[in-house]
Amino acid sequence: MTRILVIVPFALDEEGIKNREAQSRYVPLPQDWQLVYRPVTCGPTSFMSPHDWGLMDLAIFEAGCEAEAQGFDAVCIDTMSDSGMVMLRSVLSIPVIGAGKASMLYALTLGSKFSVLAQWEPALPRYRKAIREYGFDRQCASVRSFDQPPDFSNLLGGKEDQVFPRMRDVAMRCIEDDGADVICLGSTTMHQAGEYLAAHLPVPVVNPGPLTYKLVETFLALGLRHGRDVYPAPVEPRLEMLHAMMAAGARAEQ
Amino acid sequence: MKKVMVIVPFAMGEDDLARRKTQLDAVDLGPGLEFHFKPVRVGPKNYSSQHDMALADFSILDAGLDAEKDGFDAICIDTMSDSGMAMLRSVLTIPVIAPGRHSMLLAQMLGEKFSILMMWDRWKMLYTKTLGELGMEHKCASMRSIGITPDNKTLLSGKEDEVFPLLLAAAKTCVEQDGAQVLILGSTTMHEAHAWLSARIGVPVINPGPLTYQLASIALDLNLTHSKRTWPAPLAPKHDMIRAIGAAGAAFLEGRS
Repeated sequence: MTRILVIVPFALDEEGIKNREAQSRYVPLPQDWQLVYRPVTCGPTSFMSPHDWGLMDLAIFEAGCEAEAQGFDAVCIDTMSDSGMVMLRSVLSIPVIGAGKASMLYALTLGSKFSVLAQWEPALPRYRKAIREYGFDRQCASVRSFDQPPDFSNLLGGKEDQVFPRMRDVAMRCIEDDGADVICLGSTTMHQAGEYLAAHLPVPVVNPGPLTYKLVETFLALGLRHGRDVYPAPVEPRLEMLHAMMAAGARAEQ
Repeated sequence: MKKVMVIVPFAMGEDDLARRKTQLDAVDLGPGLEFHFKPVRVGPKNYSSQHDMALADFSILDAGLDAEKDGFDAICIDTMSDSGMAMLRSVLTIPVIAPGRHSMLLAQMLGEKFSILMMWDRWKMLYTKTLGELGMEHKCASMRSIGITPDNKTLLSGKEDEVFPLLLAAAKTCVEQDGAQVLILGSTTMHEAHAWLSARIGVPVINPGPLTYQLASIALDLNLTHSKRTWPAPLAPKHDMIRAIGAAGAAFLEGRS
């Protein structure tokens, strides 16, 4: 049995978690795999300001920091922001994959330039920051939004007819005006649009969530994991303190 | 059952081919994928100069040209030079996975900077080309060679005692002096050193051949293939001419042997 922890970056209820779990249907996974979707204890409810980004780092870090001790073989972070990834890598020796950097790198196996399709305008600064920090400015054709306020629980459910064609039109501008050879869905919350876009666009479409599951499979198969000298362990871990902090945060939200 | 063609970049007999095939032992891809190793029929003696690289590109194009028509679902190219990848991607719609580009991108999922370990300095041009195409020169901490002439048929067998410690010493320099956080074996012909080196160096080491098999599996599972905007199809494909050139080259080599 291989157990994969998928950290969902919002404190969602059961229904919201189910919408995230649906991502695993897009790819065949080994028979003996168990994907465990775990929401964060507490965290932001929007994702468009440094306030949100910082809280989400902490929230995802806390949700996954005991994954190795809990018997998980790998961790996937269900957000293109890669929030919490580097912190988790500093305390875990199992593979930890965020959807953001990995999907941009994977896009470059499929073409020379990628564009990121973002949900709405307030999301754009975060992508631009990440792309600059990863050093992918030269490989990124553009980041464009289809101007739809995000719903982190229902995702795109019920809005397909209205939103999917708009996503396609914006992606076509990325391709025709900006020179994108590959489209990266800007969020794992867009997974429901992946098949539609793949069928209606002339370039490959990377659906980041399912990709992370397959990448984990590769890393486990090849015995690869992040180098710990890049992500060194803390001199004095304070994970118990972290749990106490986030539990208090959750209580404050009730 | 899906079929993957692994193009081996040198013409060789069964014994030598078997040493290439042992790369498959590094991964378990389950019963759904079948790998067929196919050596090229023409090409250079080794990869030592731009002269060789031109022949290598052609030889791999020639070997894979009909793969899609012949029922293959994907191609892996068994050389870090990525020879023939661009040409094959322009004429095929099935995934064509080459280890150079892919291992440099995968390395960045494991750390920020990578170094490439090579047998001899003559391989440097291979990686420089791919880094340039990717626009990622700044991600490569170093390329270090152990100054041993490679043998693309017998690989490292019989030379373990000589070669493995040299690789470890070079790897340590990459990590300690150059700042590499991930290492990439500079050739699929170095796969026999992977397990030994990985156990001793303390940073992830990418074994490029088996990586391509995994990535072929990912591409097939996700139904993804390369973008035709990066590798556009020719307006006037010359498949017959390519086959004729390949056959003539093979006949020339045959007549010489």
